[in-house]
Amino acid sequence: MTTERPLVLPGDTIPPHLIPSSTTKPLRLGPGLRHLPPSDIIPVVAGQLITNHQKNSMWVEYNNNRYLPTPGDLIIAQIHRSGPDFYYCSLSPYTPHATLPHLSFESATKKTRPQLQPGSIVYARVVLANKHMDPEVECVSQSTGKSDGLGELKGGMVFDVSLQFARRLLMAKSREEGKVEVLEALGAEGLAFEIAVGRNGRVWVGGEDPKAVVVVGRALKETDEGRLGVEEQRKLVRRLVKGMK
Amino acid sequence: MPREAEPSLNEKQFVLQALQDSIRLDGRELEQYRPLELTFGDQYGVADVTLGKTRVLAKASAELTVPYADRPLDGIFNIATELSPMTSPAFEVNRPTETEVLISRLLEKTVRRSGALDTESLCLVAGQKCWSIRVDVHVLSHDGNLIDAACFAVVAALRHFRKPDTSMEGGVLTVYTPAEREPVPLSWLHSPFCVTWSFFGEDGDIAVLDATWMEEQVSSGSCTISLNKHGEICQIAKLGGVPVEAVSLLQCTNVALIKAKDMSSKLDRWLTEDAKRRDKGGLLAELSAENDRVPDI
Repeated sequence: MTTERPLVLPGDTIPPHLIPSSTTKPLRLGPGLRHLPPSDIIPVVAGQLITNHQKNSMWVEYNNNRYLPTPGDLIIAQIHRSGPDFYYCSLSPYTPHATLPHLSFESATKKTRPQLQPGSIVYARVVLANKHMDPEVECVSQSTGKSDGLGELKGGMVFDVSLQFARRLLMAKSREEGKVEVLEALGAEGLAFEIAVGRNGRVWVGGEDPKAVVVVGRALKETDEGRLGVEEQRKLVRRLVKGMK
Repeated sequence: MPREAEPSLNEKQFVLQALQDSIRLDGRELEQYRPLELTFGDQYGVADVTLGKTRVLAKASAELTVPYADRPLDGIFNIATELSPMTSPAFEVNRPTETEVLISRLLEKTVRRSGALDTESLCLVAGQKCWSIRVDVHVLSHDGNLIDAACFAVVAALRHFRKPDTSMEGGVLTVYTPAEREPVPLSWLHSPFCVTWSFFGEDGDIAVLDATWMEEQVSSGSCTISLNKHGEICQIAKLGGVPVEAVSLLQCTNVALIKAKDMSSKLDRWLTEDAKRRDKGGLLAELSAENDRVPDI
């Protein structure tokens, strides 16, 4: 597992003991690293170098402002228009639209496909992301044919957060590794809300009470912008919930 | 030119629904401004205003020039507004958008046409030499309510600005460098401030102050009232949008007066603080070449 997380700058040489050396699996390079043949690996951005010896992978964790689609990412996309076979939707502003096939919904046929209006929001997964092609997203699992919670998001509000914060929210152990306690704290205060986190830095919050939705959104944004620690997040939630009543 | 990204249907609906219940996304009251901050630059006449996430920088500058032939006794005063692609990719250089034109028109009406700056005092030699005062407004970050922030920045920059001292002796005009004589402030008559109301709903019955960019995108109309702390209204601009009841508009002007007074006292306080900071050792009064013009007879 990850033990040491050194700070690297673009062009640094990575100490050899940090490069995972499994003989069975190929080495996988994540974002922020580049392989210079024959055997050099250099960071191309500044950030924390993270290595995972189990998966034999390494990447640089940094907070970039532009979302680059990667296959498997869960994202919140906004429908822009409908074509003959696809919906064109935007993952982030001012970037080429992604395509969402009309049939990529749970049990969708030509006749039963969901009719999405321009401006509606879907929770989707990136299936295809090549450098010189428009990305493709889907709202159904190809292997099981189930939606697994993907699909149109009705009502609610979308909040923009930084990409790094979105990744932290999505971590399997967001409390231990991501140091995000804010959602648990909000739930403990008795607020009822639904949440969908997109890796493109958008968070959808739904709920009956608009007050609660606003409080959740503010808690997320302030945690992100103020880079609050766990204890500060609890304090923030207490303050916001108190101000709500 | 890339279009401005539109908010989604969910966002539009939610913002409107929440405003019906008097809830705003940042937890403010309907008639509450975001925190207003002002920092002056090292030079005279540079004001950096932040209003929440909106940030506007204004810089005043002076240059000697020839007055217009039809106004030989007046100096020249201009306001130039620029919305660069740094603010948003939807703005392009040298192609003014509607927002940009509206802002410069409103600033022009508020500051220039209301006679806030005494242009006659800028004239040095009638028909031959005058000061040309120019304010450049740069929008650095756009999160709604640009007009109020820009107007505040322009007024702050002009009140902070000092132009070089001059003297006229026997038909010879001398302009002194700051080292020779302390620069002098402009002759400033009153400080107008813009207060922008945004209206929501089909009949515009919800009025909100200092709308953010998200709120501006779903609003059904807005009205900018420019007034000074004495309650003298310089202009009211209601450009399109839904019609609003006259009574509620009157109510808006009353609140606008309170806000203008508040902005005025804030600006006065910041200007005195800055003057105190610059006046190292209390020498500024001695360096000044201006005398009190007290006749000693």
